[in-house]
Amino acid sequence: MKKALILLGCPESPAQTPMALYASYKLKKAGYDVTVVSNPSAMRLLDVSDPEEVYVHSKTDIESCLENLNEGDFDLLLGFVHKDAAVAYFVTFYHILKTKSMALIFEKDATLLEDFEKQVAENTEAQIVSARAYHNPTPIRVNLDKAIASLED
Amino acid sequence: MSFCLETYLQQSDDYTILAKQTGFKDCAKLIEEKAKIIVYINPGEKILGARIIGLPPIPIGVDDEKGTVMMPYTKPCYGTAVVELPVDVEEIDKIKAVAIKK
Repeated sequence: MKKALILLGCPESPAQTPMALYASYKLKKAGYDVTVVSNPSAMRLLDVSDPEEVYVHSKTDIESCLENLNEGDFDLLLGFVHKDAAVAYFVTFYHILKTKSMALIFEKDATLLEDFEKQVAENTEAQIVSARAYHNPTPIRVNLDKAIASLED
Repeated sequence: MSFCLETYLQQSDDYTILAKQTGFKDCAKLIEEKAKIIVYINPGEKILGARIIGLPPIPIGVDDEKGTVMMPYTKPCYGTAVVELPVDVEEIDKIKAVAIKK
């Protein structure tokens, strides 16, 4: 079974937790064994949102994951990018894993959104899936659906 | 025992924070402006017992005389900081050993 790693950022963005559950659900349907990596506060939001681990059953802490991560450990990296630090983490995971990667970039500020897109494009060959969004996950979901469908082609 | 950056920053007070809660690019620029010698490394490289987070090439400032390194330190919710801390010569040598060309 193919393995996917969903990398979450700071949980401050309201769209992150629902989109993490949704992305895990979609990738599982696309045949991936999914692991979500995040900091403890983002993980607590997932724990409360999915108490029976229906959507996410493999979660790992970002520090220990980074420590033990090696090239080729996953077939797909999906990174949630909505802060400057998230760009840096995504690029770092990309350079360690050297695998097919997708950056899900979302921000309410158009200038910041463009800056994050530019930084990811300049430093990786990852597929960029972006949407100007904050509370409303729909624009992100629509673009993610298209990107995941393209994986199955 | 090998050096652990995370533990060091929690338990010591002889390091200097030159910038905090800012963007990675600003931190990289600061290191390039202030460091005596700059060594560039790839993102994810393990130095001082930690994977270094950032955009390539990541500048690490080295001061052989003072025995210090100046480096970016990123956390998901707090952005990137620049810390300067004293380290052993062996640790500086390890950083130089993984250097890349800019």
